[in-house]
Amino acid sequence: MTQTPHRPAEHTTRPRGRLVGQSVPRKEDLALLTGTARFIDDIKLPGMVYAKILRSEVAHARIRSVEVAAARKMPGVLDVLCGADLVGKVKPWGDMMQDLLVGDHTPFAVDKVLYEGQELAAVAAQTKYQALDALEAIELDLEELPAYVDPEEAIKPDAALIQEGITYEFGDGNIFDRYKLRVGDIEAAEAEAAAVVRQRFSTNRQAGAALDPHGCVASFDSFTRELTVYSSTQSIYMVRDVLADVLQIPRNKVRVIVPEVGAGFGSKAQIFPYEVIASIFSMRLGRPVHLVLGRKEIFQSGTARNSQIRYAELMCDRDGHITGYRDYTVHNCGAMSVWGNQVLHIGTNVGMLPYAIPNIRVDGNIVHTNTAPGGALRGFGIPQFIWVKEQLVDMAAAELGLDPLEMRARNVIRPESFPFRTPMGQVIDSTTVYDCLHKSAAAIGWTETKANPVPYEGLGLAVSMKYTSCRHPSFDTDLSAVRLRLETDGTVTIYSSDVTHGQAHATMLAQIVADGLGVGFEKITLARPDSVTSPFGLGTYASRGAAVLGTACRLATERLREKVLAIAAHVLEANADDLDIGDDRVFVKGLPDSGLYLEILASLAAYRTHQLPPGFEPTMEAIATYDTPTEREGPDGTGNLSVTYSAAAHAARVRVDPGTGLIRVVDYAMAHDTGVVINPLVVEGQHQGGFLMGLGMVLGEDYVYDDEGHLTNASFKDYLAPTSTDVPELTKIYELPAPSLTIPGGQKGAGESGTGPVPAAVGNAVFDATGVRFTSLPITPQQMLLALREKDRRGLATFRYPDDMPGFTGPREPQDWPEPLLPDDMGFDWDNFEDEL
Amino acid sequence: MKAFTYLTPGSAEEAVGLLGQHGPQAQVIAGGQSLLLAMKTRTARPSALVSLAGVDDLAGVRLAASGELVVGATTTYAALSRAPLTGWHTEIAAVAGNLADRPVRTMGTIGGALCDAGPRYDMLTLVTGTGARLEVLGPSGVRTLSPGEFFAPGGGTTLAADEILAAIRFPAADAFTRVVFAKFRQRTFDAALASVLCAARPGNGGVQITVGAVRPVPVVATAADPEAVAAEVLDAAGGPPLVQYQRELVRTLTAQTLSTVNGS
Ligand SMILES: Cc1cc2nc3c(=O)[nH]c(=O)nc-3n(C[C@H](O)[C@H](O)[C@H](O)COP(=O)(O)OP(=O)(O)OC[C@H]3O[C@@H](n4cnc5c(N)ncnc54)[C@H](O)[C@@H]3O)c2cc1C
Repeated sequence: MTQTPHRPAEHTTRPRGRLVGQSVPRKEDLALLTGTARFIDDIKLPGMVYAKILRSEVAHARIRSVEVAAARKMPGVLDVLCGADLVGKVKPWGDMMQDLLVGDHTPFAVDKVLYEGQELAAVAAQTKYQALDALEAIELDLEELPAYVDPEEAIKPDAALIQEGITYEFGDGNIFDRYKLRVGDIEAAEAEAAAVVRQRFSTNRQAGAALDPHGCVASFDSFTRELTVYSSTQSIYMVRDVLADVLQIPRNKVRVIVPEVGAGFGSKAQIFPYEVIASIFSMRLGRPVHLVLGRKEIFQSGTARNSQIRYAELMCDRDGHITGYRDYTVHNCGAMSVWGNQVLHIGTNVGMLPYAIPNIRVDGNIVHTNTAPGGALRGFGIPQFIWVKEQLVDMAAAELGLDPLEMRARNVIRPESFPFRTPMGQVIDSTTVYDCLHKSAAAIGWTETKANPVPYEGLGLAVSMKYTSCRHPSFDTDLSAVRLRLETDGTVTIYSSDVTHGQAHATMLAQIVADGLGVGFEKITLARPDSVTSPFGLGTYASRGAAVLGTACRLATERLREKVLAIAAHVLEANADDLDIGDDRVFVKGLPDSGLYLEILASLAAYRTHQLPPGFEPTMEAIATYDTPTEREGPDGTGNLSVTYSAAAHAARVRVDPGTGLIRVVDYAMAHDTGVVINPLVVEGQHQGGFLMGLGMVLGEDYVYDDEGHLTNASFKDYLAPTSTDVPELTKIYELPAPSLTIPGGQKGAGESGTGPVPAAVGNAVFDATGVRFTSLPITPQQMLLALREKDRRGLATFRYPDDMPGFTGPREPQDWPEPLLPDDMGFDWDNFEDEL
Repeated sequence: MKAFTYLTPGSAEEAVGLLGQHGPQAQVIAGGQSLLLAMKTRTARPSALVSLAGVDDLAGVRLAASGELVVGATTTYAALSRAPLTGWHTEIAAVAGNLADRPVRTMGTIGGALCDAGPRYDMLTLVTGTGARLEVLGPSGVRTLSPGEFFAPGGGTTLAADEILAAIRFPAADAFTRVVFAKFRQRTFDAALASVLCAARPGNGGVQITVGAVRPVPVVATAADPEAVAAEVLDAAGGPPLVQYQRELVRTLTAQTLSTVNGS
């Protein structure tokens, strides 16, 4: 029942949507606002016991011994596990997502600790406190090794190996994968360019910081041999399939269910060791095992945004048209990473937008360090890359004497017709990015303020496009599914495995079903994702809900509608084409006040099957799977990985306090082209949240490591995530319609487009306000003030932080930049791969 | 968290008695805003908690006959910020109303902050800069300490395990013509990265400048201009970036508070 091909949009004759497009209040809010929603820590099962994990306090060490005998004797202790217990008994994982030959993830460190917070042992006990007490009785003998925190240190030829014993297909040493992108002729572009701007940029590690902690409750039934896992995850099948593989048990014996999930932002889009550990305890004990992580554990061992160093160059012609982009990237994935390498591929590919750059060369080294695992996080590599590229655009504009708004206006995609294929290979099926750019700039008074600048106030622009779902280089799939059931009382149940965790699927899908089936919105319920009942789907990430899941829902609704009409036509002895549905009944067109109620039709299919049309299969269920018509990444890195793209044009006004360095975003405008918006209220919320995450990335959040690899700010007290008072009034949020031509309903992804441009827009505004160009993230008040003082001391008009600071040890100028560290033998000649293939 | 015994004395003397009885593993709990966080991570592991919540005479604000403002140690920030005060005492309420967040102000107490002695807490600067006196109750009665005696030079307090802080006695409303406190923190709910208090004495008493949050305990400056104050508290130049930054902040905040004090 998989539906892949492109479907035209004119498939329905009914007037489009009564509820789609309206700000219907969210079905989810009642439980959330009354405190009745049940999150993972609220799950209590009869006989449940508690597990806790002992984590390494050092970042890099050889394990001599983990002695658990004393812990076993502690009060209330039921079981203890450590790495050595599981060698050969569970299968390592991580291979499928990373496209590696073997997995590099295990439930516990066995021979070596690779990062602070890595799992060393675990205890299951009657109470949490007994489990914690027993952890203190475990004796560790660790031989500490020097830690690599800086990825550029980790790739030096003489650096010691972090991950030992794994041979990487494309990697070498601490480089575990490589990324190559080749478009056009970059050398020619450079030779012909009127201006080339070059700068080294670096980015930070950012936490998902979902308030609902990571955790699970695993419950193994010793008689049926079924393992049920409640997990706070974004993807039940990713957890189920990997968990079953790790434990080497049949997939239909593993059931994954989600409780209410209090956000993820990408940080819960994979399996974690705790899910494996809780499952093993439960299988050994035959009792439910609760294992919920504390905030420090989540900071240390959850996933954080991958940081990057990019030696970047942008080439332009005399009129400011971008003709080339080249960089060498060092991409830090931490000690291990399920998704980290994909972040560089996809973030760079899609991050080139909204420009159609004709000549591109990117070489990336994807690197292990002794730091927290890297992973997916809202924006998936795009905010990092936009931070670099959009600041280069401002630098190029300055060099050419162009207004940054005008420079962007000359470059953003504005084709004569859609779909439009860029040199990078993206198929842009619609966009109003040009109008978004002008809209956001006008909204903060760009032209007026540029004419009358205010001291220590500045304006900045940035544009980006975010993919709507994605065919990952390592994953040749991009599907979601919905099964609908018209119940015998006329209500509808929606089954989907894509976990709603802030995206309001229950509301958004019900709007689609209500419109297509004529059922009252209040009669529609979204069932909780459960791998025993929900159709297979990839999960909720990559801004795929409205477009991919929404399309599956639309297709299922159409199929169910056909069934309903077929029964009604039979009963009414009418032609199905003469019938319509609305107000919970089927009626003859033009006579909406009469008709057959859906509950009657549904009961016929269940309880009066002789009244059905001859040969009608008596079921009121319909299922549909939608796999996007996207391409795989080509060997040169190009391709249309995403089904459609959402543009974001942001404009920031910042004010810098020259006495304290405090940076305030005092005004902010966002213009997006999210296509057909199913629920404007929900989408506005997504844009606000997306902005907030971008704001944290640019003005405060970071994983602060000391030289030994200790994370020094692993609590919400010290980790500087923005709070409500840091957010400006977000009233300037605009949607400039550009319905997707590929997605039947015209939707696009909304969840991440609000994040991409924020760091760059603020960075450009800070430069405008102060003359200080920040090349590293985040920009803290401390750095701001010290940069201002140093700039004044040296009497400079412009200044780069940290590049021009006295203590900076990195390469300051392009002539000092490192050559991309590349092997000679990558299997084939990348520059002439076409000849070779 | 580790298991503990929870004790609820009805008087300050009883509290002191319980502390003696349960030994150094017993600890006072007031609002619990610092202590519970430390217990959750097991950095604090008291075997017994002696709660001051039921000791009524430790809470509240009153004027002594001498004109001194007596603030009970378990007075919450919320109560202090709403207290009907006059003269420079209004600055005490203002400081109490502009720190942490609402839940912390509702539960957190001035005594808890002083006994926890977090270098970045505002009340340390306030009591040091105004020369408040701290009333400490122990098995052998009350002793009254200056801030310099109450805070240990390297951080923390000089309280014995069986002593509690009972009250803070701020100088009378006419002791200063004006007191101005200013601080800088990155986020509204963070503790200060630097704080400065300027207290102007009547007549020719001059202005006393106190700098908090940059040393283990607040420093009363002898210098009188922003540049010199910063140099006195944090050396003239150099140091790690945080210290360089704090030096700039001290300059900015000193200039700001001085101009407010002198401006009216
Ligand atoms: C989120 C957050 C933000 C904060 N922001 C700020 C800020 O901006 N500025 C600021 O100044 N502070 C700030 N604080 C700190 C806050 O001021 C203290 O946590 C609070 O005042 C402590 O008081 P408490 O009554 O809760 O003390 P408790 O936590 O109950 O006790 C703290 C310590 O003092 C001891 N103790 C308490 N009372 C007595 C007593 N009477 N005699 C002897 N010992 C005693 C306890 O044994 C314990 O060791 C913040 C705290 C939090 C959690």
